[in-house]
Amino acid sequence: MSALLAGIVLAPLLSSVLIGLLYMVSITKIPLAKTWFTLPALFAPLLSFVFGVIAFIEVYQTGTALHFEPYLWLGVGEYKIYMGFLGDKLSLFMVIFITFVGWLIHLYATAYMSEDEGYGKFFFYFNLFLSSMLLLVLADGPLIMFIGWEGVGLCSYLLISFYFQDNSNVVAGNKAFIVNRVGDLGFLVGLAILFFYCGNVGFSYENIAHQVASMPASLLQIVGIALFIGAMGKSAQIPLYVWLPDAMAGPTPVSALIHAATMVTAGVYMVARFSFLYELIPNVGLFIAYIGAFSALFAAVIATKQSDIKKILAYSTMSQLGYMFIAVGLGAYSSALFHVFTHAFFKALLFMGAGAVIIALHHEQNIFKMGKMRHVTPVVYITMLMATLAISGIPPFAGFFSKDEILLVAFASGEYVIWGIAVCSAVLTAYYMFRLFFVVFEGKNALHVNPPHDVSWVMKAPLVVLAFGSLFAGFIGLPSLLGGSHLIGSWLGEWGMRGLHVSHETEWLLLGLNVAISLIGIGIAYKKFYAYDLSRHKEAKGIVYNKFYIDEIYDVLFVRSIRKLSEFIAVGLDVNIVDRVIMGMSHGFIKLGHVVALVQNANVRFYALIMMLGVSVASCYLIWMVE
Amino acid sequence: MMDILFLLLSSFAILGAMGMVSFHQPVHSALSLILTIMALAGLFALLSASFLFMVQIIIYAGAILTLFIFIIMFLNVKEANLPKEPNKNITLFLGSLALLPFNFLILRAFYKMPLHVNALESDFGKIKPLGMELFTQWLLPFELISLLLLVALIGAVVLGRKEEA
Amino acid sequence: MIANTLFAYIVVAMVLFSIGLLGVISRKNIFVIYMSIELMLNAINLIFVSLSRYHDDMGGQVMAMMVIAIAAAEAGVFLSLIIVLYRRKKSLDSDIFRTLSQKEAI
Repeated sequence: MSALLAGIVLAPLLSSVLIGLLYMVSITKIPLAKTWFTLPALFAPLLSFVFGVIAFIEVYQTGTALHFEPYLWLGVGEYKIYMGFLGDKLSLFMVIFITFVGWLIHLYATAYMSEDEGYGKFFFYFNLFLSSMLLLVLADGPLIMFIGWEGVGLCSYLLISFYFQDNSNVVAGNKAFIVNRVGDLGFLVGLAILFFYCGNVGFSYENIAHQVASMPASLLQIVGIALFIGAMGKSAQIPLYVWLPDAMAGPTPVSALIHAATMVTAGVYMVARFSFLYELIPNVGLFIAYIGAFSALFAAVIATKQSDIKKILAYSTMSQLGYMFIAVGLGAYSSALFHVFTHAFFKALLFMGAGAVIIALHHEQNIFKMGKMRHVTPVVYITMLMATLAISGIPPFAGFFSKDEILLVAFASGEYVIWGIAVCSAVLTAYYMFRLFFVVFEGKNALHVNPPHDVSWVMKAPLVVLAFGSLFAGFIGLPSLLGGSHLIGSWLGEWGMRGLHVSHETEWLLLGLNVAISLIGIGIAYKKFYAYDLSRHKEAKGIVYNKFYIDEIYDVLFVRSIRKLSEFIAVGLDVNIVDRVIMGMSHGFIKLGHVVALVQNANVRFYALIMMLGVSVASCYLIWMVE
Repeated sequence: MMDILFLLLSSFAILGAMGMVSFHQPVHSALSLILTIMALAGLFALLSASFLFMVQIIIYAGAILTLFIFIIMFLNVKEANLPKEPNKNITLFLGSLALLPFNFLILRAFYKMPLHVNALESDFGKIKPLGMELFTQWLLPFELISLLLLVALIGAVVLGRKEEA
Repeated sequence: MIANTLFAYIVVAMVLFSIGLLGVISRKNIFVIYMSIELMLNAINLIFVSLSRYHDDMGGQVMAMMVIAIAAAEAGVFLSLIIVLYRRKKSLDSDIFRTLSQKEAI
């Protein structure tokens, strides 16, 4: 039974290898029809989903986690690290929605990428990504998780630069990989310190959890911050977020799966996994919550002025991730994971809908060249409306419950500053999401460059499924206030331990406040954009539109200085000094050889002279010796 | 008396040697060498080696060096065929300085040997004792020397042949 | 009586030997080189004979005779070589013959 855990990871991995081999055959020998790639690509995530459900049911019923350790991976002296999988409530919960949403996005991608020649290559990367993400989630120790962590980083790079013919896409992929790498450095430092202190009996989460209390407090804080730096890179928080908007250069299914539902949530998952560590250092947790709050506000402000539909969604992802980090920072791990769950549904839906609109308008991504799409694609209209209501926090849609819980946690912990920032971000979220919605789907006139067409049912069906998800997913976390039993909180455990100390009246008040602010945001957007006249639209300018010039600042501060250093080392140091020294030495030896070779000049008299000189020197020495 | 003779003969020997080394024309050098050989023969006589005194003059000066001069004149060496030696004098001077330690070493070793001499037998250095010594103690080298002379004879003839056209 | 001392004769012989050695090294003319070699042999002869006189042993004089015989043989071979080489190169410079060197293979 626990071997199913390995099966969950292996199914997409083997399928990706198979697709890769088929693709290589297809481009070198005989071209294969697309079905060859589609069938394994769709079958594998479905299989993982089925395995995940079976394992989940098992754990739900028995209440104990599943462990599977197939082999010893690294054995150095006394240090033994096993390849191991851990299927407990947290990991299987994540597996279920990752594989389900992932499968839907794979289905959507078969229609989205159908025209592309790299179809097979795309699914090779896509399945590889899914397998890495599942390995990350199902790992039983941070080192195994790091394998998956690196794997998703790699696949993210490969998929962002998928349209490699355009150089700017490749640059965006590089940026993502490099910024991720900076985060990974922090992660590795934390991991190394942990291993140094706790690695002698094996390096799984349980082993670390037993020993972590014995580490000195200052070191724990360093480890906590270092691991969080890794999460900053992966989950696009300030200051390592700059790769996420550029990552929209990849195809839309990539944005939907990786940069909305799965990879970016890896950071949140990691902090939740290390909850035993972060519970011991609450001030680091507070730091995390502040970073999350500021990222949320910052991203929301920038999104209000963007005009590329995918970039708006990218910034909204960063903003929602900020909310999740507020929750984990304040110790409410189940609230954060609840938001991860609901966010996966509505964010994937938003991206896929955006992709449908983009395809319908022949790859147009500027919202101010859209408009009145309501009549072109009614299904997309309705599903995107549901998703936008969900993200804005309108009941009974999913986003309302999860966001409300996070705001409640912030208020109840006494962190009013964070709560205030989160409330402002919520207003802005509702505003800019409905700004997007109204400009694209409503408006007074349409400014379509090409005549639009509707999209295939293969793309629409996942939208519909996810729309149901956005509607109903919130009910697993229905708070006791409204009559539910708060399944997710009690099941994942941490909620019960914390115990909120707010009265029912305060809860109702806050709930009403959340709804009110969302409606305010929607109202402002409605007023400005419902009947937006696109012909009178002016291009936006200014500091907010230019993302506060952060990219340019990073370029001057970091990129240029490092490039100068690299040039100095490559040319100044390596060529001029090192090469000269080494080549100089070898040339010197050759010249020395030439000089010495002069002695052998075949002049016998010269040899006789040398012999005489030798005799003379020897006799001098003998005279000196005898004296 | 003997001293004067000795000094005279030694200075002729050394002068002849220096001349041989310094002259530009090979004929002059050969003639200087003959002077040296004669002086050396005299020195042999002073050392009671009467047979060797005669052998030296007859064979060395009379045969070998005469052959030498003959060959020099046979080749009809002109001025153009002689090599130019610009550094001759400098090299001679510096070389003499370089050889001083060697000489010093050897001479100091010999210096310790006895100064005065005992009287000799009356027929020391005459031909009969020399012959006795040669054909009893030194028989093998004698035969080998004759072989050597044979080889040298054949070799000289072979080398000097005119090449086949 | 310096003529009665061994040392005097050795001095003379060493001086002649050194002059002969210098002649081999400093002169380029083949004839002069050969004559210098002969001079060295003569100097050695003088040492042999003087040592034989002072040790009352005829062996030294016999040795000197051997040396003379060898010098004669050497002269014969040497001179025919000079004739052959002079026919080839028409010059008496000993520095011409350098086939052993890799640069000036003749």
